[in-house]
Amino acid sequence: MATVEIDIPTPEKARKRNLLDFADWTAADVGALFDTADVMAQVLTRTIKKVPALQGFTVGTLFFEDSTRTRLSFERAARAQSADVISFAAGGSSLSKGESLKDTLQTIDQMQADLYVVRHPAAGAPHQIARWTDAAVVNAGDGRRAHPTQALLDAYTFRQRFPGFDGFQGKRLAVVGDILHSRVARSNVELWRRLGGEVVLCGPPPLLPRDVGADVPHTHRLEEAVEGAHAVMTLRLQRERMASALLPSAAEYVARYQLTEAVLARAHPDALVMHPGPLNRDVEIASEVADGPRSVIRDQVANGVPTRMAVLYTLLVGKR
Amino acid sequence: MSGQAMRRLLIRDAHLVDGAGDHGRGDLAVQDGRVAAVGADAADGFEAERTVDAGGALLTPAFIDLHAHLREPGQEVKEDLASGLAAAAAGGFGTVVSMANTTPPVDEPGLVAELVHKAERLGRARLRPAAALSHGLAGETLTDFAALQSAGAVMITDDGVPVADGRLMRSACEYAAELGLVIQTHSEDPGLRGAGVMHEGLVSQALGLPGNPDAAEAAMVFRDCEVARLTGARVHIAHVTSKRAMQVIEHFKALGAPVTCEVTPHHLTLTDQALAGFDPVFKVAPPLRTTEDVAYLREALRRGLVDSIGTDHAPHTRAEKERDLLTAPFGLPNIEVAFPLLYSELVLAGELELGDLLRLLQDGPAVVMGWPAPRLEPGAAADVTLLDLDAERAVEPQRFLSKAKFSPWAGRRLHGWPRLTLVAGAPAYEREGAAA
Repeated sequence: MATVEIDIPTPEKARKRNLLDFADWTAADVGALFDTADVMAQVLTRTIKKVPALQGFTVGTLFFEDSTRTRLSFERAARAQSADVISFAAGGSSLSKGESLKDTLQTIDQMQADLYVVRHPAAGAPHQIARWTDAAVVNAGDGRRAHPTQALLDAYTFRQRFPGFDGFQGKRLAVVGDILHSRVARSNVELWRRLGGEVVLCGPPPLLPRDVGADVPHTHRLEEAVEGAHAVMTLRLQRERMASALLPSAAEYVARYQLTEAVLARAHPDALVMHPGPLNRDVEIASEVADGPRSVIRDQVANGVPTRMAVLYTLLVGKR
Repeated sequence: MSGQAMRRLLIRDAHLVDGAGDHGRGDLAVQDGRVAAVGADAADGFEAERTVDAGGALLTPAFIDLHAHLREPGQEVKEDLASGLAAAAAGGFGTVVSMANTTPPVDEPGLVAELVHKAERLGRARLRPAAALSHGLAGETLTDFAALQSAGAVMITDDGVPVADGRLMRSACEYAAELGLVIQTHSEDPGLRGAGVMHEGLVSQALGLPGNPDAAEAAMVFRDCEVARLTGARVHIAHVTSKRAMQVIEHFKALGAPVTCEVTPHHLTLTDQALAGFDPVFKVAPPLRTTEDVAYLREALRRGLVDSIGTDHAPHTRAEKERDLLTAPFGLPNIEVAFPLLYSELVLAGELELGDLLRLLQDGPAVVMGWPAPRLEPGAAADVTLLDLDAERAVEPQRFLSKAKFSPWAGRRLHGWPRLTLVAGAPAYEREGAAA
């Protein structure tokens, strides 16, 4: 196999060791990462979709919560750069039997991985792990808190698909649904605003408490949120929210918060429709919208691998 | 040294302070577990077997903690009577009320008697056990209050678990009132609290951690105060954390309801911001609140709205506190640092008079329980502690006598460390290297 030379831009500042959230990432860092993702996307169009960039590195996926899709996406991203991959999956059960997170991590750490991809039901667990290991840590979703690679691929998709994209400045993202429980919403707020865009949050009051993103515009009216938006992101509505009395019924949610063609007509003429998946068709989003011309839902999925390739590359190779 | 072996001890040149006032420099003579003489001439004609030179350090009645989790029986991996009562004495405490949320819970007279019997032989702080309010802390049926009291229980509480059923709380209060027992409440509405692991507010939302709103505490405090008013029972509201809950208590105190309340050292010194580093050491129940709440609690101390400072010393193993924030247990160890912490952060900072702090650890809790106020006077039990107010030392959790060798204040330099604690005239704690 011919080794393919790839020219990957270097972030201006020191490379980031971890991606736990965007607290210490600048817009320029993220821009450089997007440029890297462009190169990775190009690699994935080749006949041989593999480069040796991470040969000799080992990536460990530590999933304390089930997520086949995200784990597959990261593993593909690692292998496409010739990294070795080791996987640990625990549904939280081994921990509830008494082993502490630190003990579990220290056992796994003996495998000498260079980077961990961590998904955990408790907010902050990737931060705890980052304190206890010398490996780099990528947060693949922690509780309600953050899911930074999802936000990266969402913004990357917007940058790629919004007609005549000229930067995030002045671009408004409306996020609709169960904001309270959504790490995707929190990470999108953090990243989108860091990139210079605006965000408006929308959902029924029990799922959009006033303290969530207190300095972010809130509305409980879908029409208000969508008005003039450049992108509308709907979030999956979990059935448990009705069972736990946070909402009256799915029917009432559909009537008030489903994204339909009629509502979408209020958005910017070029507005994109996004969804982090998995979809509840005809609950939070009408099928005709999900499958319609403004939908970039499939692009989001496709962009997951190059974006995550760029994250792994930036953290591992940039570390030196 | 065994307490019984030494019957006559003299503490010389101490600064003598108790709830009756500042008695200036003087000596304290102890014989057979009681104060024999106190004051400038206390040493006259007293043949001491041992003399301690206080060098002007503060000598005051040992503190009373109405709220500590000593974890025995069943959770000895976290703490036991020996380690917990030694830690208490190291913190200047001479009397500790132990909580009943053990394994099994202390809901049977035999368990109470066993704890009392065991503690007596340790020669550390005195143990006054609390007993559970409901069998198994299940919140369904009342325990045998009278039998528990006869066995040595001084307080009834399901602390750790709120009593959800108002009817059960009412019955408990009616029954306890007649026996003269104090009911201590862990006042949080279970539904409003939900699965919250920290204060609900801007910080919890930013951190993505499930929140527990101050309304959960204030609503249940209101119910518990109403039940106290209705029944006439003495209700002690444990660990008040929020401005709203304190305002409710203020309202009921103004009405003359038989309600008293406690705040803890950590709720007076830490806020929900402490969770920003995702360290479960700061996970406590009820949760650390906001700067505004802390300021209000401190104001309540100054205004005399607070009856006692209880530690809510809640030791766990280090491994349990190295779980994630959803599964790590609530609680932190603090009994050894409570006084130095509050002396340094409140008294030295000019926010509270030393006399007020001492009252909240001595006469305050005694009054809550209906016990005589502790005094440095002839005939009184020789339960005293000698405090080095000027010495500054760092908090060193690895040297705690508690089994829980971690602390939110590790490394913090504090003043006011206890040097010597006597219980019934015998040293229950003596700092290593302290000059005798």
